[in-house]
Amino acid sequence: MKLYKIVAKDIMRRKRRVLYAALGVVIGTMTVVGVLTIAFAGQARIYRQLEQYGPNLTVIPAINSLDMKLGNLSMGTLSVGENYIQQDQLPKIRQITDGNIRKALQIDDDGDIATIAPALYENTRINGVSVVVIGIEPETEKMVKTWWNIHKGAYLNGSDQALVGAIAAELLKLNVGDKVTLNNDTFTIAGILEETGSGDDYQIFAPLPAVQQAFNKTGMISSLDIRALCNSCPVEMIADSINQSIPGVRAVAVKQIAKSEMGLLEKMSNLMLALGGITLAVGLFGVINTMMASVNERIKDIGIMRAVGASRGQIIRIFIYEALIIGILGGVAGYLLGTALAYLIGPLVFEGVSVSFVPQYFPLALAVSIIVAVVATIYPALRASRIRVADSFRAI
Amino acid sequence: MLEVKGISKIYGEGTVRVTALDNLTLRVDDDDFMAIMGPSGSGKSTFLNVIGGLDRLSSGEVVLDGRRIDNLDENALVDIRRGKIAYVFQQYHLLPSLTALENVLMPLIFCGRGADEKDALYMLERVGLGKRSGHKPGQLSGGEQQRVAIARALVNSPSLILADEPTGNMDQKTGNEILELFKQLNDEGRSILMVTHSPEIARQAKEIITLRDGRILTGPTKN
Repeated sequence: MKLYKIVAKDIMRRKRRVLYAALGVVIGTMTVVGVLTIAFAGQARIYRQLEQYGPNLTVIPAINSLDMKLGNLSMGTLSVGENYIQQDQLPKIRQITDGNIRKALQIDDDGDIATIAPALYENTRINGVSVVVIGIEPETEKMVKTWWNIHKGAYLNGSDQALVGAIAAELLKLNVGDKVTLNNDTFTIAGILEETGSGDDYQIFAPLPAVQQAFNKTGMISSLDIRALCNSCPVEMIADSINQSIPGVRAVAVKQIAKSEMGLLEKMSNLMLALGGITLAVGLFGVINTMMASVNERIKDIGIMRAVGASRGQIIRIFIYEALIIGILGGVAGYLLGTALAYLIGPLVFEGVSVSFVPQYFPLALAVSIIVAVVATIYPALRASRIRVADSFRAI
Repeated sequence: MLEVKGISKIYGEGTVRVTALDNLTLRVDDDDFMAIMGPSGSGKSTFLNVIGGLDRLSSGEVVLDGRRIDNLDENALVDIRRGKIAYVFQQYHLLPSLTALENVLMPLIFCGRGADEKDALYMLERVGLGKRSGHKPGQLSGGEQQRVAIARALVNSPSLILADEPTGNMDQKTGNEILELFKQLNDEGRSILMVTHSPEIARQAKEIITLRDGRILTGPTKN
C-alpha cells in the first residue's frame, strides 16, 4: 500500500466534492479545446481552398447581380442577364496573364502558360426544378478543377453531353444515359460527379459551344477561371493589369479573398481563445475554492496523519495527487466535451465545415487541465501542511 | 528516558493569557506506566501534547533519551513521531475511509519503509482484531476502534506511548480490556503516559500524578 492509495480511497469517499472541483477544470478545458477544434476545422478548410484556388484568378463582368460562388468562397455576384464577357477578349486576357508570368518567372517560351477556363452560367428548369447550367471547355475545366472525380459514367466527350453535380443528380433524379433538355437543345448525361462539397454539386456542366447555342449566347461567357499554375505567380499583378486594360471586366485574385477570410478567422479564434482562457481562470479559482473547502473539511484527517508520522511534504503530496486526479479527469472530459462542443457549434460558425477529432489537442487538454488543477492546489496544500496537530484536534 | 524540565505553556496574549502549564517538572523512566489525573482544564491534555511535540512550549525543556526535543524543527519531530513516540486518543482518530488494516498500515506508509501488511495484521491480531481487519471504523464498536488505534500506535514499535483519555468513551468493561492491553505493553518495556479523569482507571497504572492549574499537585505516587 502506498500514499496514493490513501488518496484514492479518500477520493472515493468524497466523490462529489472531487467531481465538483473537476467541473471547473472541465469547463475551462472544454472551451479551449472546442475553440481550437473549430478554428482548426475552419483553417483546414480555408487552407484546402487556398491550395485549390491559390494561384487562381476569376474574371467576371463588371456589373453583377447573381450570387456566384467558387467552392465555398463567395466571389461576389454575377449578372446573367445582359452582362457577359465577350469571348473575343480571351486572347487579350491570355496575353496579359502569360506576359506577367513570363516577366515574373523569366520564361522565354512562347506557348500558353496559364490555364484559362471560360464558363457560361445559365438558369434553366429541368422537371420543374430550377438549376444552373454551366458551359465549359471540358479539357481546360478538368485542369482547373483538379479535385473533380467521376462518380458514375464518364467525363464529357462530345458536344451534346452533360455532366451532373452529385446533389443535382439526386434532386433531379438524373442518371447516366438520361436525356435532358436545356433550353433549345437536348443533352445526354455522360457522367455524374463525386460530391465535392462545393457549389459544383448543384450544377450541370456541358461543353461551352453547345450551351452557347442552346441559350442563344454565342460568343458570350459569364466568367473566366485563370489558373496560373505556380504559387509564386503574381496573381494580384495580373488582376491589376486585366482590370486596367480590359473595360467591362473585373479580375479578382482568389488568394486575396482567402487571405481576408483567414485573417477574420484568426481574429475570431483569438477572441474565443481569450474567452477560453478566462473560463480557465475562473475554473482555477473554482478549484482553489473547492480545495480550500476540502482542506477545512479534512483538518482532522490531516491532523491524524501528521500525528502518526506524515511529514509536511507528504501532506502536500496527498493534495497534489488529488489535483493530478482532478486534472486527468478534467483533461479527458474537457477534451471529449470540447470536441463534442465543436461538433455542435462548428457547423454554425462555418457553414458546411466538417469538424473532426484533433488528436494532438488531447495531450494539450490534459496538460492544460493538470497544470490548472495543480496550480490551484498549491496554496490549499501549503495551508494544509501548516496545520498543527494539536490545533486540528481542538477544532473538532 | 523522558525528562520534563520546568515547562510552561501559555495560550493567548496580553490580558487574555491562559497559563495551561506552569513550570512543570517530571521524569518518566523506561518501564513507567504513569496516570495523569486532574480536573478539566488542569492542563493534562496540553501536557501530553507538548511533550509529544504536537504543540509548542512557551518555556522549559523536554529531553527524550538524552536529546532535547522541544526545540526541534518539524522534520525532526516527524522522525520522533515515526519511531519513538506514539499516540492514542480518546476519539480514536482513525481515518474513516480506510479499513482497520489500512489505518494500522498508515504510519508505515508515511515512514517510507516498505509498508508490510503482515506487520499490520500481526498488530491487529495482538489487539484481538485479526478477524476484523477489513472493516472500516464506522463498522466497529468504540472499543474495537480504540484497539485499532492502539495497533496503529504499536506498528512502529515506539518506546513511549502517550494516551489521552484512551478509555474515556467506553463502558467500564471495555475500558478495562483496553487497560489490560496497556499493561501488557508496559510489561514489554514500553513506557506509558496516560491521561485520565477516572480514579479507577488511574489506580491500575504504576504511578499517579495529579495536576491542578498547570502544576503537579501530588505525585508521582506509586500505586
